[in-house]
Amino acid sequence: MHPVTSAMLSPWMPGLFSFALFVALVLAALAVVLFLTSWLGDKKTDPEKARPYECGVIPTGWARFRYPVPFYLVAVFFLIFDVEAAFIFSWAVAMEDLSWRGWLQISFFIIVLLLSLFYIWKKGGLDWSPSVPPRPLTRKTRS
Amino acid sequence: MESQRAASPLDPENPLLSRVDAVLNWARAYSFWPMFFGLSCCFIEEITAWTPRYDISRFGAEVLRGSPRQSDLLIISGTVFKKIAQVVLRLYEQMTEPKWVISMGSCSNCGGMYDCYSVVQGVDQFLPVDLYIPGCPPRPEAVLQALVLLQKKVRSERSTRKVFHLSGGSQGTQAPIRVDGVSKSRDPRGPGYYGTPPRGTAVTPPWFRESRAEVMWTPPPRRFELSEADLSLAQVLQVRFGDAVRREEETSDMPSFQVAGDRVKEVLRFLKTEASPRFKGLTDLTAVDESTRQTRQNYPDYTLVYHLLAFEPPTRLRLKVPLHGLDPVTPSITDIWPSADWYERECFDMFGIRFDGHPRLWRLLMPHDWEGHPLRKSYPDRGTALPPYTLESARKYQPLDAAKFMEGRVGEKEFLLNVGPHHTSTHGLIRFILALKGEKITALDTDIGYHHRAAEKIGERQSWYQYIPYTDRIDYLTGVANNLSYLQAVETLADIKVPDRAQFIRVMLTEFFRLSNHLVWFGTHPQDVGAMTPTFYTFVDREKIMDIIEFITGGRLHPSWFRLGGVAMDLPEGWKPLVDDFVKVFPQRLKEYEALVTKNPIFEARNRGIGCLSLEEALDWGVTGPNLRACGLEWDLRKKFPYSGYEAFDFDIPTAATGDSYGRYLVRVEEMRQSLRIIEQAANRMPPGRYVTDDYRYAIPVKNDTLKDIESLIHHFINVSRGPKIPRGEAYAATEHARGEQGFYVVSDGGIMAYRLRNRSPGFANVQALPLMAVGHLLADLIAIIGSIDYVMPDIDR
Repeated sequence: MHPVTSAMLSPWMPGLFSFALFVALVLAALAVVLFLTSWLGDKKTDPEKARPYECGVIPTGWARFRYPVPFYLVAVFFLIFDVEAAFIFSWAVAMEDLSWRGWLQISFFIIVLLLSLFYIWKKGGLDWSPSVPPRPLTRKTRS
Repeated sequence: MESQRAASPLDPENPLLSRVDAVLNWARAYSFWPMFFGLSCCFIEEITAWTPRYDISRFGAEVLRGSPRQSDLLIISGTVFKKIAQVVLRLYEQMTEPKWVISMGSCSNCGGMYDCYSVVQGVDQFLPVDLYIPGCPPRPEAVLQALVLLQKKVRSERSTRKVFHLSGGSQGTQAPIRVDGVSKSRDPRGPGYYGTPPRGTAVTPPWFRESRAEVMWTPPPRRFELSEADLSLAQVLQVRFGDAVRREEETSDMPSFQVAGDRVKEVLRFLKTEASPRFKGLTDLTAVDESTRQTRQNYPDYTLVYHLLAFEPPTRLRLKVPLHGLDPVTPSITDIWPSADWYERECFDMFGIRFDGHPRLWRLLMPHDWEGHPLRKSYPDRGTALPPYTLESARKYQPLDAAKFMEGRVGEKEFLLNVGPHHTSTHGLIRFILALKGEKITALDTDIGYHHRAAEKIGERQSWYQYIPYTDRIDYLTGVANNLSYLQAVETLADIKVPDRAQFIRVMLTEFFRLSNHLVWFGTHPQDVGAMTPTFYTFVDREKIMDIIEFITGGRLHPSWFRLGGVAMDLPEGWKPLVDDFVKVFPQRLKEYEALVTKNPIFEARNRGIGCLSLEEALDWGVTGPNLRACGLEWDLRKKFPYSGYEAFDFDIPTAATGDSYGRYLVRVEEMRQSLRIIEQAANRMPPGRYVTDDYRYAIPVKNDTLKDIESLIHHFINVSRGPKIPRGEAYAATEHARGEQGFYVVSDGGIMAYRLRNRSPGFANVQALPLMAVGHLLADLIAIIGSIDYVMPDIDR
């Protein structure tokens, strides 16, 4: 591994005019697309069309309510560990320069991460399936 | 280039717009987005157009969309039921603009052969239609042709004016909605005949005035000889219940007892828990409206009929309970057999019989706001006798709200979701109402009847022969196998002997259809859990089976090829090599399919331990067929009550012990191998001889005979026109259908039509047990479970 020098990076030459032009073009393109999609074509706005689709019947209840989403938790955990992976990568790139001291620090970091992973695991944060198992196989039938 | 010009005529006012028209229409015509929407049999042929042999992607319309928001082409494939019509209209209105509609099949075009109370006599009464595909069902090629014709139509539209909000122009469906009596006539004879019965009074129920059946003679019905065990059971019942139970002297199929209404519960409980043998299974529960019997004084107002089944040894038993009054009340037996729930609701729905103690005596098949009880003799037998279903009707009547189904069963944290009636994974028109906590199912209710085609009511107005085509359509994936169940019942009643060759032909074709059904299932079940590929493989082999079926019978889905006492004609020259080829090739193909799916880790993870059903529950809920065998019981009617010569064949009954979705999968795959064994044996040992009995009183005589002697000629004339008379009596017969026990209970009053025709369908019982399998699982597991149950809607709703 070599230390990074400024010659290895692309030059940064700020140009206000080209930047402004770029922004203007993007805005114009967006405006054209938005205008065309809203103006072109046949529109029909009756209550049936505006109604949410739920397999062809009228839905029951209101969609804005607190809804338990195990997927959300899993996604958040993934995001956290993903960001932490970025730290580890950057350490790995500069491993030789950072010497044993760096190794000790990153090891500490990884151990903390692992502990937290086990903690989440133990708390059931990674269990997507329902916490209660499905109906047992032999159930007393009604009599 | 030439044809392109012809297809899009120049806009007379603006040549520029017409150029844009050409481009726009070209783009539209070759990129339809059809909705994944099917109603009944036609959809099977429609979807076959998507599979390798037909390959609709050649026409740029292969991307099926699950939601109306993304679709612009609606193919109404199949029967439009009054219970589903408002849903069809809503889907149409939720589609993107512009949109096109193809009406596929006779039912959708005009009601077809279903001129009955539950079917709309033509979808064009409430939806505009671009194109009609005739046929019942039309072949996949017809779908392709319709698509080409629609492309032609789209290319002649003047869409640019619409797109740019200019005046004039045209796009999408422009056809007007048809109004009965103004722009269409629901009467098949055309306008001007109102007030006269369509086919004359002699064939008009319920009275059949001046029917010639009265002067026709038949031998007495078959006489069933009671065994020692039956007699001792009768003795036990006599001792225990005295006069409350009376054995019927003459029956054709099984021991039958008349039970007094107030003791019936006791008797049933005794039979289930104490009698020897134990009658653990409630096969069927139905009623007969006796009000138009020829000898009225001999009958009560209604008869409630229970069919019971003992597994060890295999024994059947019938109990009949006379009921009096217009709206009689009788005790509910839901506390003895939980499966009685739906059967009693159906009886209430169809006959208006009330069941005291039933937890929820609602309508089951008909919509919640329906008036009248259709299977009563006083109810009109034809849909054309009822007011037409119009756009206003479709807006007015709505399916019951999900909250109503779940009343008292859900807490605050749960929310309600409808899966179906229109859903790509429900395999037809069925609605599951789910209460969910997160993704977990906490309660499930099923709303059926969206596919109710009045098959039982129609049986009371079609002659014994005319009803055969209706049986094909009861389970549209198994064709002639349904004919067999129905004919077994009538042949049992009238004691018609079937020659060996006919038996073998019947067995061979029935097994072909079992195989064909399981191939469709093999394609769709893995698809439900995420594997697209198997469908495209299995439909290739299914087409090969269809080729054989077509070569032998001339039909594909609905050959209607079996007849009383045999089959419609002899096997054609050259059938053997076709069957041999298939038998040779198929095992290897099946091995390939299994390699794709059986050990697939995702497939296993999605199915193992999912949807468990214990054997005890399965018996209690009347579950039959592969679903029962997957619970560990070796129960197959082909072995337990051999019929149609199955005792002559060597085959095994596959079972699984787990009772889960994966077990059901394994059982069906093995069943395909066994079916193939039977087909091979039937083909190799096909006996010579007659293909239809020479008992021409009931059979349709061989054409050659009619040219030689006058007796055969007369019988031919009578049996194909008026139809034979079947002696007074009743019989229940069942076959091991692809999905389980499919039985027909036919009651004859000595007429040329059934007095009452009851179909005991396997799917009805299998799906009723669904909450036991699904509650507690995740929403996604429900899809795997319904895939593994393998039901088909007309079999459940009839």
